[in-house]
Amino acid sequence: MLDNGKINGRQLMVLIYLYSIGTTVLVIPSGLASVAKQDAWIGGIVGVIIGMALVLLYTALWRVYPGKTFVGICQEALGKGVGTVLSLIYVFYSFIGAATVLFYVSNFFLIHFLPHTPVMFTSSLFALVVVMGSRMGLETIARTSELMLPWFIILFVVLVTTLTPQIDSQKLLPVFESGGKSVFWAGITFSGTAYMPIVFLFSIFPRVQEGLTGKVRLGLFASALAGGLSVVLVTLLCILILGPQITARSMFPSYALVKKISIGHFIQRIEVLLAGLWFITTYMKTTYYYYSWVTSLSEILKLKNYRTLTLPCAMLMVVFSLIVYPNVVYMQHWDTIVFPPYIIVMAVVIPLALWLIGLLKGSKDLSATRK
Amino acid sequence: MTIRANRCILLVMTVALLWPLTGCWDRRELNELAISVALGIDKVDDKYQVTVQVVQPAEVASQKGGAGNYAPVVMYQTTGITIFEAIRKMTITSPRKIYASHLRIVVIGEQLAREGIGNALDLLSRDYELRTDFFLLVAKGIKAEKVLKILVPLEKIPANKIYNSIRTSEKVWAPVTAVTLDDFIMDYESKGKNPVINGIRVTGNAEIGIKKENVEMIQPAARIKNSGIAVFRKDQMIGWLTEDQSKGYNYVINTIKSTVGHIQCPDGGYVALEVVRSKSKMKAAVQNGNLRLAVDIHVEENLGEVQCQLDLTKVSVIQELERKAELRVKDLVEQTMDSAQKKFRCDFFGFGNALHRSNPKAWKKLQPDWDEHFAEAPVSVTVKVNIKRTGTIGNSFMLDREE
Repeated sequence: MLDNGKINGRQLMVLIYLYSIGTTVLVIPSGLASVAKQDAWIGGIVGVIIGMALVLLYTALWRVYPGKTFVGICQEALGKGVGTVLSLIYVFYSFIGAATVLFYVSNFFLIHFLPHTPVMFTSSLFALVVVMGSRMGLETIARTSELMLPWFIILFVVLVTTLTPQIDSQKLLPVFESGGKSVFWAGITFSGTAYMPIVFLFSIFPRVQEGLTGKVRLGLFASALAGGLSVVLVTLLCILILGPQITARSMFPSYALVKKISIGHFIQRIEVLLAGLWFITTYMKTTYYYYSWVTSLSEILKLKNYRTLTLPCAMLMVVFSLIVYPNVVYMQHWDTIVFPPYIIVMAVVIPLALWLIGLLKGSKDLSATRK
Repeated sequence: MTIRANRCILLVMTVALLWPLTGCWDRRELNELAISVALGIDKVDDKYQVTVQVVQPAEVASQKGGAGNYAPVVMYQTTGITIFEAIRKMTITSPRKIYASHLRIVVIGEQLAREGIGNALDLLSRDYELRTDFFLLVAKGIKAEKVLKILVPLEKIPANKIYNSIRTSEKVWAPVTAVTLDDFIMDYESKGKNPVINGIRVTGNAEIGIKKENVEMIQPAARIKNSGIAVFRKDQMIGWLTEDQSKGYNYVINTIKSTVGHIQCPDGGYVALEVVRSKSKMKAAVQNGNLRLAVDIHVEENLGEVQCQLDLTKVSVIQELERKAELRVKDLVEQTMDSAQKKFRCDFFGFGNALHRSNPKAWKKLQPDWDEHFAEAPVSVTVKVNIKRTGTIGNSFMLDREE
């Protein structure tokens, strides 16, 4: 038996919001700034616009195949054989996604807090909580994200307000120097990290109680927009305070940013408290990647209960997260060179193709019934 | 039965919880840390000589009042090809590992500064333990270790003294500028501004300064002083600004929060003016292919001290003072600009960045040899001074008497 838990539209909104912030907020300002310099924030906004188009695509896909997971969509559109192969590729990707995000989390821990602790342990402990969440089912995860949201928002507001005194607006000038091409490329990487992974949430879309009503659709757009803009705001703060060069060079620019907080030389050195922000969002991102992976795999294998897969899959994920990037330089290379085309194929090209196939089939069915 | 079994399981689980405790790799107890507050970097025959000032916790603790037997800080020194190595090597003399999160200042010896400090600063921006809120300083004419040896009154920890005096004088005394590592790196990387670092030096008898005697005297034999600004080209120091030029520098880059200056009265004697607000704008523009630089400064001042015959009931007197104050600030700024263009031929103000912001196209053309263009460009300085208030009284009490 698969997970029968249902979530409602509001929970979906919270989920999309935290999911799109995910690891994006931790690493993307650096990527944006290295491509677009002081125009990184414009790149972010372009990314949000691209993201809206993506959400449009996903809701369209959802409408064409209501009540289907991504695996179900592949099989319906392409038939059993090809569909299964395609969905396996897709499942593999969510596995890679979960492992890389786990690597990010433990890498962050390792660099800033626990330099001498073996990575094995930080990732295992983090994975343990992820597995716990997934075993308890979608309802539990969704409610957890609802509970986390206020904390996230409090921390986020603290971050933004405590940093405002340090803003130097001159750092933004000259605006739009880097030109359209690099801003557009920055937008692609932004939406690649923030929005394209939403395609993996197709494993939970069928669980939305209301189905795809107008309200849910609007909620999807609103939360994706809010998530993207939150990241753009952090990027903007990075540029305004650290400047484009330091932002580009930092491994985790937003962490370098909160190190700057100092109000009256009294409220300062609170970066570790604010790191809670990223623990929340990265937890959500890892959990949904992981959940999508495990449930899709069990759907392909036609298992009665996906929970039997959670432990072995978690072991795979932890081990793979240790070897997925041999070193951090490789990680940056992979993230900037390999990842964008890969995710564009997975999250734009294939869904678009599936949508077109669905439309053609739909119209054929329609004409068939008319006859 | 089941209750007993449950209890058993509970007990086993509780005991099992002890396991993770043994594996706390990154545990660091307070009494295992050597809290370093100042770092000095020099170069001795191709090797870095690293000096660290570490707090003696028992001496600094305020509740016990300190036994007074030891110096409040202790210094460790090693040399190494890389700084990272040298700091680790300190454990051969120090019983505790150096902990750098509470670093307040990093002092660089002048000799090393002249050779270039880029390599030396990499570690500081890379290591996770370091925060970015410490100040960079150049030891004027001496090695950094000499500065870190001096004991000081008022603040027990010398590094704190230096840190606080920079922070305070940056706010109330124009010639001082506080430079953090991020500031330096930002300037280093931007092609339109060269970095500067505030200087520091030891005055008086340094021999006594290193002994506790120094703080037992009412007037310490040796003191640590801020001294002007060190100018860099990229990461190499190329010279010093005088106190007046340092003042002018801060006027130009708009970092003056408050300061006091003096001007001469028409009939001899002086008037002290307190700057309460200063706003400046650097402009760089290209007109008909020629680069022109401009500085606009608006200063708001109060009259702070009158040592001459001035009738402060007359508006014209204030206007006269304003004009003189304008000339004084203009003179400071022009002096600084002059030394930048003629002596150093180096843009350490950031006119290049100003041009970059206002005219990216022209900047692209001039950027490759910007310092040369900067050195040849005509500069116009306009200063507007407003004197608003005269303190708690109007005319000086000496005015009637002397008449």
